[in-house]
Amino acid sequence: MTGRRGAESPDPESLSLLRRAVAIRDEWLAHGLSTDPADRPAAEAAISALYRIVDRPPPRFVWVDSPGSALYPGSPLHRAESTLAYLKAPEPSDGADPPVHDRLADLWSTMRSRLDRAVAPCLRPPLRAQRPPATLPAVPPERALRDGVWAGAVIDVTVRHSLTVSLCDAVRAPLFTEFATCSPRPLAAAWYGQHDAYRVGHYDAWHRLGLASFPAWAREVLDLWAATVRSCGWWWPGEGVCVVAERTAALHSEPMPDAVHGEVRLHRDGGPAVLFRDGWGAHVLNGTRVPAWVIGAPTPERISAEANVEVRRAAIERIGWDAYIGAAGLALVATAPDPGNPGSELRLYDMPESPVVVPGARTRPGPPGRVLVVVNGSPERDGTRRRYGLPVPGSLDDPVDAAGWTYGLSGATYARLARRT
Amino acid sequence: MSVTAPTLADLTARTGLAVLDHLEREAEVPVIDGLQAQGDLLVVPLHLVADDVTLSEGPGPHWTPVPAEGLELLRSAAGGNPHTLVADPGTCRWTRGVHDRFGLALGVLATTAPAYLLHPEHGGSGLAPGTYAVRRQREAALRHAWRDDRARWSPGESRLVAD
Repeated sequence: MTGRRGAESPDPESLSLLRRAVAIRDEWLAHGLSTDPADRPAAEAAISALYRIVDRPPPRFVWVDSPGSALYPGSPLHRAESTLAYLKAPEPSDGADPPVHDRLADLWSTMRSRLDRAVAPCLRPPLRAQRPPATLPAVPPERALRDGVWAGAVIDVTVRHSLTVSLCDAVRAPLFTEFATCSPRPLAAAWYGQHDAYRVGHYDAWHRLGLASFPAWAREVLDLWAATVRSCGWWWPGEGVCVVAERTAALHSEPMPDAVHGEVRLHRDGGPAVLFRDGWGAHVLNGTRVPAWVIGAPTPERISAEANVEVRRAAIERIGWDAYIGAAGLALVATAPDPGNPGSELRLYDMPESPVVVPGARTRPGPPGRVLVVVNGSPERDGTRRRYGLPVPGSLDDPVDAAGWTYGLSGATYARLARRT
Repeated sequence: MSVTAPTLADLTARTGLAVLDHLEREAEVPVIDGLQAQGDLLVVPLHLVADDVTLSEGPGPHWTPVPAEGLELLRSAAGGNPHTLVADPGTCRWTRGVHDRFGLALGVLATTAPAYLLHPEHGGSGLAPGTYAVRRQREAALRHAWRDDRARWSPGESRLVAD
């Protein structure tokens, strides 16, 4: 499993392991992104079996169409809340029988420590192997193997890290935020069904690749959690009743920029990027969760009132930098001819401060930023040239210096630009 | 490729790489030994950035010969629209084994004959024989100064532009 430093190509065994690992990762990613209706019998069977392992009789199942169902008064999850003991009493008193969700959490962590013990040898560097660079997630895996990184480290990044980035950070996190912005209180003590794929998939990969052998007990418990990943959405285990949400009904994603391990993020221009069967969901533009108005009706006024700069930026790009700068009355700092782009101008503006004052903020605001509005070197289909804004440091006063800064060049060097397309 | 500068149409015919049909296809793609920008990529003669961009030390950078079908240097955010380096086989090589003080260089190319960078939306850029760094573009990033949802423009940090 150890590649030699400087070898021209990775050894065939490592390469074959990598290819199989990628296929297994993509299987779990597909479960995480699945928009099929829940497989209710399979989910109920797996969850019932988990209850039995923690000495609880199988619960009654209440199905809801989305995690957001918890938010509506009278929804099934809302009605079932009284039976979800932990929502009322998160800390069990001493000597009391721990609630089922605590028992399941204990079961999970016991299983995980046994699986981790079995996987540990794969993650340990072989003798004389160099430690992988911290940038390993950004290195194409074949190249990492060729550079002498041992196969275990590459497989870990290409399966566990990739699934975590795609499903935990890029899909579950925006749904959490959506949930939190409208939820009266956190309902965080849930399991996430299909969105738990990133916690299960890598163990499955080590096992199926024949690189780790798990104790039978741990393997059985893992199989049950894997079955929930393959069959349902978020679920809330309570005493005697378990609320289970459907899977996503529609989900729009795109490859993450520069991803080398198949990472994806949410994106949809024309509506919600994630939609559940009851209409609950989240709007996401290129990975940034945005309020619905950004897609439906962005206006300069709303943009100026928006506190989150990433949301503000996404909204500006929808109405166009020209329209926004005109309507918001940004102050022009300076203009200059664009080197290499005859007839076009570089325009430098001051960006307004965030309108929100945060009480008790400990960090003092730095100098405000600026935005350089540039013109594409190539025409669009309709013959116009797209203009767009690039945020630049507020310390730059000269548009050519600012344009040079975006490429790590001085203004004097950037001024030598011969041609822009 | 021929001694006279090819047109965009010639380049797409030779490489099989498509460009959008509204671009001027019959104009010659000028072969230039200076600084050129293609969308969010910059091609800069290595000597102009020698203080900031250096080739890897030790056993030396791993050079890849640019094959007949070309070499993709960077894809856009949506996964399509790559910037592809093409050249006559045996004339051009490429390495990602570089260190850039600003972390913007994708790599360095060295070519002994005209090489071309092609992009579906930005057309072609012709590179005269020489050694060049290919850099990405950056923009100032946000600093999450107080709370995650109270981000503001920050003067100190940057992120790469993905167009």
